[in-house]
Amino acid sequence: MTGATARPLPAIVPGLRPRPRWRELQLLVLAAIALFVGSVSLGATVRARAAVAADAPLPEGALAPHDLTALLVYLGALFAAHLIQVLAGRRTDQVLLPAVGLLGGLSLLLMQRLPQSLAGQLGGLAQTQLIWLVLALGVITVLAVGVRSDSWLRLYKYTWAAVGVGLLVLTFIFGRDVNGARLTLDLGPISGQPSELLKVILVVFLAGYLSEFRPLLVEQSTRLGPLRLPPLPYLAPMVAMWAIALGIVVIQRDLGAALLFFAVFLTLLYVATARASYVVIGLGLFIAGSAVMYRLFGHVAQRVDIWLDPFADPQGAGYQVVQALYAFGRGGILGTGLGNGLPVVGGRLPIPEIHTDFPLAALGEELGLIGVLAILGLYLVVIERGLRIAASAADDFRALLAAGLSLVVGVQAFIIAAGNLKLIPLTGITLPFISYGGSSLLANALVVGLLLALSDRGVEPPPPRPPRSRLARIVDRGAR
Amino acid sequence: MDFFVLALWLVRLAFLAVLYLFLYTVVRALLRDLRAAAREPGAELGRLVVVASTGDPPPGAVFALDAVTTIGRDVNNTVVVDDPFASGDHAALTFRGRAWYVEDLGSTNGTYVNGSPVEGVAPLGFGDEIQVGQARFRLDRARR
Amino acid sequence: MSDLPIGRPITRRPVGANITAVGVGLALAFGVLAGGAGWWQVVEAGRLTTAPDNPLVIATARTALRGQVVDRAGIVLASNERDANGEVFRVYADQAVSHVVGYASLLFGSAGLERTYAADLVGLRRDPVADLLRKFDPTPADPQDLTLTLSLDLQRAALAGLGADRGAVVMLDPRTGGILALASSPVYDAGGIANPATSRATWAALNADPVQPLLPRATLGRYVPGSVFKIVTAIAGLGSDAFAPDTIFPEQEAGERDGLVVSGFRIREHAGVPVRSYDLAGATEVSSNIYYALAALAVGGDELSDWAGRLGFDAALPFELPTAVSQVTNGGGDFGGGFKDAVELANAGYGQAETFVTPLQMALVAATVANDGVLMRPHLVASFSSAEGGVRPVRPDEVRRVLGADDAAAIVAAMRQAVEGTLGRQFTSGAAIQGIPTAGKSGTAELGGTGEPHSWFIGFAPADDPQIAIAVLVERGGRGGARAAPLAGALMRAYLVDGVGR
Repeated sequence: MTGATARPLPAIVPGLRPRPRWRELQLLVLAAIALFVGSVSLGATVRARAAVAADAPLPEGALAPHDLTALLVYLGALFAAHLIQVLAGRRTDQVLLPAVGLLGGLSLLLMQRLPQSLAGQLGGLAQTQLIWLVLALGVITVLAVGVRSDSWLRLYKYTWAAVGVGLLVLTFIFGRDVNGARLTLDLGPISGQPSELLKVILVVFLAGYLSEFRPLLVEQSTRLGPLRLPPLPYLAPMVAMWAIALGIVVIQRDLGAALLFFAVFLTLLYVATARASYVVIGLGLFIAGSAVMYRLFGHVAQRVDIWLDPFADPQGAGYQVVQALYAFGRGGILGTGLGNGLPVVGGRLPIPEIHTDFPLAALGEELGLIGVLAILGLYLVVIERGLRIAASAADDFRALLAAGLSLVVGVQAFIIAAGNLKLIPLTGITLPFISYGGSSLLANALVVGLLLALSDRGVEPPPPRPPRSRLARIVDRGAR
Repeated sequence: MDFFVLALWLVRLAFLAVLYLFLYTVVRALLRDLRAAAREPGAELGRLVVVASTGDPPPGAVFALDAVTTIGRDVNNTVVVDDPFASGDHAALTFRGRAWYVEDLGSTNGTYVNGSPVEGVAPLGFGDEIQVGQARFRLDRARR
Repeated sequence: MSDLPIGRPITRRPVGANITAVGVGLALAFGVLAGGAGWWQVVEAGRLTTAPDNPLVIATARTALRGQVVDRAGIVLASNERDANGEVFRVYADQAVSHVVGYASLLFGSAGLERTYAADLVGLRRDPVADLLRKFDPTPADPQDLTLTLSLDLQRAALAGLGADRGAVVMLDPRTGGILALASSPVYDAGGIANPATSRATWAALNADPVQPLLPRATLGRYVPGSVFKIVTAIAGLGSDAFAPDTIFPEQEAGERDGLVVSGFRIREHAGVPVRSYDLAGATEVSSNIYYALAALAVGGDELSDWAGRLGFDAALPFELPTAVSQVTNGGGDFGGGFKDAVELANAGYGQAETFVTPLQMALVAATVANDGVLMRPHLVASFSSAEGGVRPVRPDEVRRVLGADDAAAIVAAMRQAVEGTLGRQFTSGAAIQGIPTAGKSGTAELGGTGEPHSWFIGFAPADDPQIAIAVLVERGGRGGARAAPLAGALMRAYLVDGVGR
C-alpha cells in the first residue's frame, strides 16, 4: 500500500537507509498551501476589521499571513517530521501525518483568532498551542521511527491496566475541580488531564486482553434462557469496565470520557468476537446505567435537560449550547471567513469554553458548512487509515490495538462534534488535534505515532506466545 | 475597499478549495490503493487447506497463497512440512495468468495430484488434492 | 478481504470483516454529524441568525441606527437620540405603548417589538450571502421602520379608562386580526431603561415594584375568566353539535331553584336569575351558570378541550409578542380532555375551576365569533419600510375557520341579547352603544377569599357588521357589568362614533 513503489535509497551511513515518501510529501505541500492561504485570509480579515473599527484606511500589504513566524515554525516542524521519517526509511503510512498536520494547522489558525488572554502561560493562547503542537509532532515522529517492537505493550498489559487505574485513583484523590469536573491533575508546575492518557492505556490493555482470550470469547458462551452470554469468567472485565465508566461519571463528573471509554470498549469487543449479542448486552447496561444516573445525579439530569431544550433557558443553563447553535447558524453554508466570526461581543465571550469544548462551533461559523464537512472528512481519513492499518495487521493484538487507537480518535471526535451540534448531550471532552490543550494533543499524538509504527509492513513478526509459567498464570488471574 | 473585499473573498474560497483538494487527493490515493491491492501479486490468489498430515502443519490449517508458493521440509519454504517423507525443497505451486500449476522440484518421494504422480509441471484446478510426503493438501478458491 | 498475511496459517476468522463493519458504522455516524451541521447551518440558519439574543444582532445594534416605530396614524413611537458622548440610544414617545414597543438597551437587552423585530430594526438581512458581501461596508445595515396597526390615541383612551386599576384592554379588527390597542396597566418607563444615564436606576426600581409594571398583562397575564368563558363553551357545543341554539336542558329549572348536583357537588346559580329553563340566547342573556354547566357536561371534556384548542388555547398564540398559554384545565386527569372529573368539567363550563386565560386570548374568542367563525392571526406590524427595500405590507392571515357561519351567527345573536336584552342589560350595563347594535358578554371571575372578583367583558360592534372586537379585564374590578362593560362600551363608541384611532 504505502511503500509499494518506493525503493530504498542507498544507505548514507550504515544502518540508515532513507526511503522517499512521495505521497506524504505531496499531501504535506497541499496542507502547507492550505494553511498559508488560510493564514492570509485570517490576517487580511483581522487587519480590515481593525481598520474599520479605528475608522482608518486599510494599511499597505493587508493581504498577508496573520503570523508568518508561527506558521513557518509549525510547517517547519511538520516537514521535519516528514524528513526524519524519510531518513529512517520505514515503510509506514503516508497519509496520517499530513491529515493530522492539517487538523493541527486549523487548530493553530483558530487559536490565533481567539482572544490570546483566554489561556496559556507561555505567551498567550496561540503560542502555547504552537508549542504543544510542535511537541506533539515530535512525539509522533519519535514513535513512528523508534517503535520497532510491540512486545513492551503486549506483554505487560496488566501492568498498563494497573498504571491506568492508578492514574484514575490519583485523579480522584489529588485532582483539581474545574467547572465541577475533577479532571485535572497537578504535578508541580505541570497540570494535565489523565483521562486523555488513560484512553490510550485502556486500548493497549483491551487489545492485549481481547487478543489473548479471543478464542474463548468467540467459541464459548454461557446460556441464560434465550440469551447467549459471554463465558462468565471473561465477563468480569466487561462489568469492571462498566463500573469504571460509571465511576468516572459519578466521581469525576466526566460524562464525555465515560461515554468514550464505554463506546471504544464495546466496539473493540465486537471487533474481537463479531458477536452482536455482546454489544446488545453492553448497550442494555449503558441504557440502564444512564437511566439510573439521570435519576440520581443532578449534573447528569441537567446536561440531558439542556440537551432536550436549550432554548428553555437561553440566558442560563442552555446558554453555551444556544450560543454554539447561533454560531453555526451565522456561519451558514460558506462561513463568515476566518477571523470574521463573533466569538467576542462587547469584550465578552458568548461561548466561554470555545477553545476547548466548542472549537467546531467556532470553525463552523468562520468556515461554514463547507468547512465543517471538510473537517469531518479529515477525521474520516484518519479513521480510515487507522482501520486499514488494523485490517492488514499481522496478528490479532496489532489489529485490535490499531482498531482501538483509531476508534479513540473517531469516537471522541464524534462525541464532542455531536454535542456541539446538539445531536447528543454536550460533554466536556476535546476535539482531537484541534482543541486547545497539551494533554489532549500529546495523547492524540501518542495514538498517531503508535498507528504509524503499527503500519510498518517490515516490522518484526509478533513474538511466539511465551510459555506461561505457573506464577504468571496466578498473577494474571489475580489481576483479572 | 472593493478590490480588497473581492480579493478577500477569493482568498477565503481558495482556502476552502485547497482543503477539498487535499481531501480529493487523499481519497484518490486511497481508491488507487484499493484497486492496486486487488491486482497486486501479493494479494491472496488461492488457499491451501491441509487435509491430512502427521506433524506440522496440523490438518485443518489454511494457507493463503502467493503467486509462488514453495512446499518442503526446509524452513525457507513458504509452507514448511514437518514430515520425514518430504524433501527439503519438494514442490512449488505457481499461479500463471489465470491458472494454477504444480511443479515437482526433484523430490525423492515425488508429488501427487489426486493420486497421480506429477512429472515436471502439471495444471491444477480448485478442489484438487496435492500430496507431499504423507501430507495431503487441497487447493481452494481464495475467499474474497 | 485480501489482507491475510501470506504463508501464515489462519486458524480463526480474521478480524478484518468486523473492522470493515466498524468503519462503515463510524462513517454513518459522521454522516449524521454532517446532517446535523446542515440542519443548523442551512435549514435553521435564518431563524438562528435573526434571533434577538444572537450576538450578531446585538453587535449590529451597537453600530447601526435602529429603524423607527410609528403607529397607524404615523405618530412616531420609538426613535433614536445621542447622548453627550455621542452614544446612540432609544427614546419612546409615550409610556402607553411600553408593553407593546418594549425597550432596547445595551445594558438590559430588549423586550416587546424591539426584541421580536430586533434583526429587522437594525437592518440585518435574512439573506446570509448578501449579508456577507456587506461586511466591510461602513453602513452595512438597512434598518427597517415598523408601521403598526395600533393606534396610540385608542391605546391612551384604554389606559385612561383603566385608570389606577391593574388590568388590560385588547382591541382588534376582527376581519384582519390587526391589533388596535393592546394596553396593560400599569405601564412603565421604557425610555428610562433605554437611556444610558438612567437605565440602572430605572431597571432596579421597576424590578423591585410589587405591582410588576414590567408584566405585559394583556399577553402574559393569566386570569380566571368567569362568565366570558361561556362563549367558548357555546362555540364547543354548537361546533360539536352537542346542542343546538334552541336546545333546552329540562333539568335546569330544578337546578336554578336548589342548585345542580354533579357527582355530589352542588353548583348554585348567582343571584337575579329568574327560575326556569333557557335556550342558548336566554341563558347567555342572564348568564346562567347552571345552563353552561349542563352544556359543558353535554359537550364532554374531550370536545371542550379540543374546541378551546382550535381557538388558540393550550399553546402560545401565533403572535409577535410572547404569550402565556391559556388553559381550560390543568390536564393530566382521566375524565376526558384532561379534566379530573365531572365537577371540574361542569365548573369549567362557566369559566371557573382550573380555567385560566390571557386577555388577548379572550379578545380572539370575541373576534372569531364576530368574523363569522374565522380566526385571523393577530398582528401588530402593518408594514415594514426601508430606504432600500421600500414598503412591504403585512397581509392579513387566516389561522383557521373555527366555527361554521350559522353557528357563529347564533352566538352573535346570543351575545347581542346579553347586551341589549331587558334582562341582559342588568348584567352588562353600559356596554351598549347608542345607535349601534352591540354584542358582548360580561364576566365576574370569583377568586375565592374575600377580595373583589376580576371584572371581565368581551364583545364586538357593530353586531351586524363587526369592525372592532374587544376584551377588557380589570383586576379586582368587581362585577363585570359594573367596571369592564361600561369601559368596553366607551372605547368601542370612541372608535366607531368619535373616530378615535380611525
